[in-house]
Amino acid sequence: MADVKFLKVTKKFNENVILNGVSVEIKDHEFVVIVGPSGCGKTTLLRMLAGLEEITAGDIHIDNILVNNIHPSKRQIAMVFQDYALYPHMTVEENMSFALRLMKMDKREISARVHEAAAILQLTKLLKRMPKQLSGGQRQRVAIGRAIVRKPKVFLFDEPLSNLDAKLREEMRVEIAKLYQRLNATIIYVTHDQVEAMTLAGRIVVMNHGIIQQTGTPIEVYRKPDNLFVAGFIGSPTMNFLHGKLSAEGEKLFLKNDSLTLYIPPFLLADGARNAGREVVLGIRPDDVLVGSGTRENCSEKIEGVLEVSELLGHRENLYIKAGENRVLATVEAFFNQSPGSKVSVRFNYRNMHVFDKKTQQRINN
Amino acid sequence: MDILYSIYEVLWFVLIVAAGIAAIEGYFYYHFKLHDRKWFMAVSAVFFPLAAVLLCRYVGLVQGAGSGELWAWFFITQVIINLFFKHIIKGRFSLPYMLLAPAFVGLALLLVYPFVFQIYLSFHDLKLTTIMAWKNTGHLPFVGIQQYINVFTTSPLSEVSFWALLLRTVWWTFINVFFHVTGGFALALLLNNNIRFKGIYRTLLVIPWAMPQVVAVLAMRGEFHSQYGFVNIMLGKLAVAFPALAAMGFGPVQWLSDHPLATCTLINIWLGIPFMMVVILGGLQSISSSYYDAADIDGASYFQKLRYITVPLIRPVLMPAVTLGTVWTFNNINVIYLVTGQSGGTERADILVSALYKAAFTYNRYSYSAAFAIVIFAILFFISVFYLKTFDAAKDER
Repeated sequence: MADVKFLKVTKKFNENVILNGVSVEIKDHEFVVIVGPSGCGKTTLLRMLAGLEEITAGDIHIDNILVNNIHPSKRQIAMVFQDYALYPHMTVEENMSFALRLMKMDKREISARVHEAAAILQLTKLLKRMPKQLSGGQRQRVAIGRAIVRKPKVFLFDEPLSNLDAKLREEMRVEIAKLYQRLNATIIYVTHDQVEAMTLAGRIVVMNHGIIQQTGTPIEVYRKPDNLFVAGFIGSPTMNFLHGKLSAEGEKLFLKNDSLTLYIPPFLLADGARNAGREVVLGIRPDDVLVGSGTRENCSEKIEGVLEVSELLGHRENLYIKAGENRVLATVEAFFNQSPGSKVSVRFNYRNMHVFDKKTQQRINN
Repeated sequence: MDILYSIYEVLWFVLIVAAGIAAIEGYFYYHFKLHDRKWFMAVSAVFFPLAAVLLCRYVGLVQGAGSGELWAWFFITQVIINLFFKHIIKGRFSLPYMLLAPAFVGLALLLVYPFVFQIYLSFHDLKLTTIMAWKNTGHLPFVGIQQYINVFTTSPLSEVSFWALLLRTVWWTFINVFFHVTGGFALALLLNNNIRFKGIYRTLLVIPWAMPQVVAVLAMRGEFHSQYGFVNIMLGKLAVAFPALAAMGFGPVQWLSDHPLATCTLINIWLGIPFMMVVILGGLQSISSSYYDAADIDGASYFQKLRYITVPLIRPVLMPAVTLGTVWTFNNINVIYLVTGQSGGTERADILVSALYKAAFTYNRYSYSAAFAIVIFAILFFISVFYLKTFDAAKDER
């Protein structure tokens, strides 16, 4: 097992900058998920670590060895591809043993390793099958098995679950989590799915436009997003954003826009008066939008709105509410017994509110 | 005004073809739509044979005598067709059959009829001495399988025996297809890289294939001319430049007279590589690059990737191409015929099909050639079946 270091890694395709100075340190035995929308450079970063893409500038270290110019097979990594990349003309067993056979490893050792991996992944009965004869989830497991048999220092997963249907994806997510506990390896996992990131990661690296937006544990990234992008990307359903301008009236600070005036308490944003006149964006997670007229501690004044659509999810319900010009999504316990068009009042929980500067997009509250 | 007359003739021909297709479609339409009428059997059994006989007489296929027999044949055929439509087809699938009908009739006229006639010929004795009697009386002596025995025991040409020809043909086919595949594979691998001006290279390499074969072969034959051909000029210059080579006997060669088969082979290899290259290039481009990424991580060298990934994965496109290439090369009369000169040329480069051509049209042994052609057909048929079987087996693997 080993740690991985990215130092100001940059990738350019001609004039297109894909990665712009990415620096991360990944510790031994850590499960790191790199998450971001498509085209953010996360897969490129992983492929550079694997040695499948050239590095334009910067250094990549695995286990304190500079690997920039080391061949992929010598980097002691194993990769699971999005489309599995199982060799279609080889059986499951041949697929899993291919790398070992190329190393000219002892046949008994190969067989032992393949069978051990197959046992872990419940593939023992499928060893003689062709990839074509397997289901998507089974192919996925073979791809993981092919990585395991090599006993690499670092596992790389490139969107491994994106070709599976929703139910299978959940199952495989749990499988991968179990596998991590069992292997206790360094895993770098790339995905665009923030649910996978939240559930699997020990640490999340959120990327956008080839830049790391935030690095932290899932709970840090969720509770304290560094900027508007992270706030909007992490969490499902998406965070509500209220745009407006801060203005001071005496000692009190308010967010104002065309149809809303919202008191900003000092514990949310200290030094209120200094921020007066600033264009900001308030972020509130749908869970922190409280529906109903009863007052609660640390909550805003009630805001009147109209229910536009309600979506029943089972035990929860999504309410799309329009308050003046502001659209707000609230998630409440089922069943919210009102029909669209009816009046509802909402309050925002100040404790979990986020304030971002509109211009810099950075978080300005604590 | 010749041109106008030509256009008039072409239009007239198009009109006849269109009328023929319309007649065929009308015939089928009638059978599909009216098969359940009471009068269907009676009317069609009388009308269509009568029309057919009248048409034959009008065109001049038959004179007065023999039309009675013809009538009987048409009648029987028509009754069978009627029963078929009345009891088996029953008006179903009318559109697909009607759309297929012109093609089927065309195939029947262009392939089935000649093939059947060839089989007929192969069991009789049609040659220069019997052809006039056949023309005058319509009678051909029946000889059973004697022509087939002759194929294996007598020479189709003046010197070379059937078995020598067969061996030569197999050798010729093997050498050609081997170099087509390896050459095409090598070029396809080069073209599959990210190189500049790829389109230009590809176009240049495909030219031998795109050119009419007659032009390409005759041009190449010129290049193998002993005095003025490019090949010998280059060999001569090399021999002058490297006396050591010349001392070892290296120098211009009398290609066409001393090594006709080698010349043909070189020309045919040059002609056949582009096709394989295009096919293999298509196969290479269909291989997902993630296999190579996975193999890189697995630690495969360039040749291991070639051996374990590229070759197995292009087999599905390669096998049909090799089958086709084998048949084409086996049957390639153009190159041999055009390079070694026509009748009266050397027999040292002849393969089965070119010998067949000479047997039929130089030595005028028509029935013998018909049997000979069927033997060649049988050989090719088994080769193709064998290839397709192995291909199916390979396909089942994945």
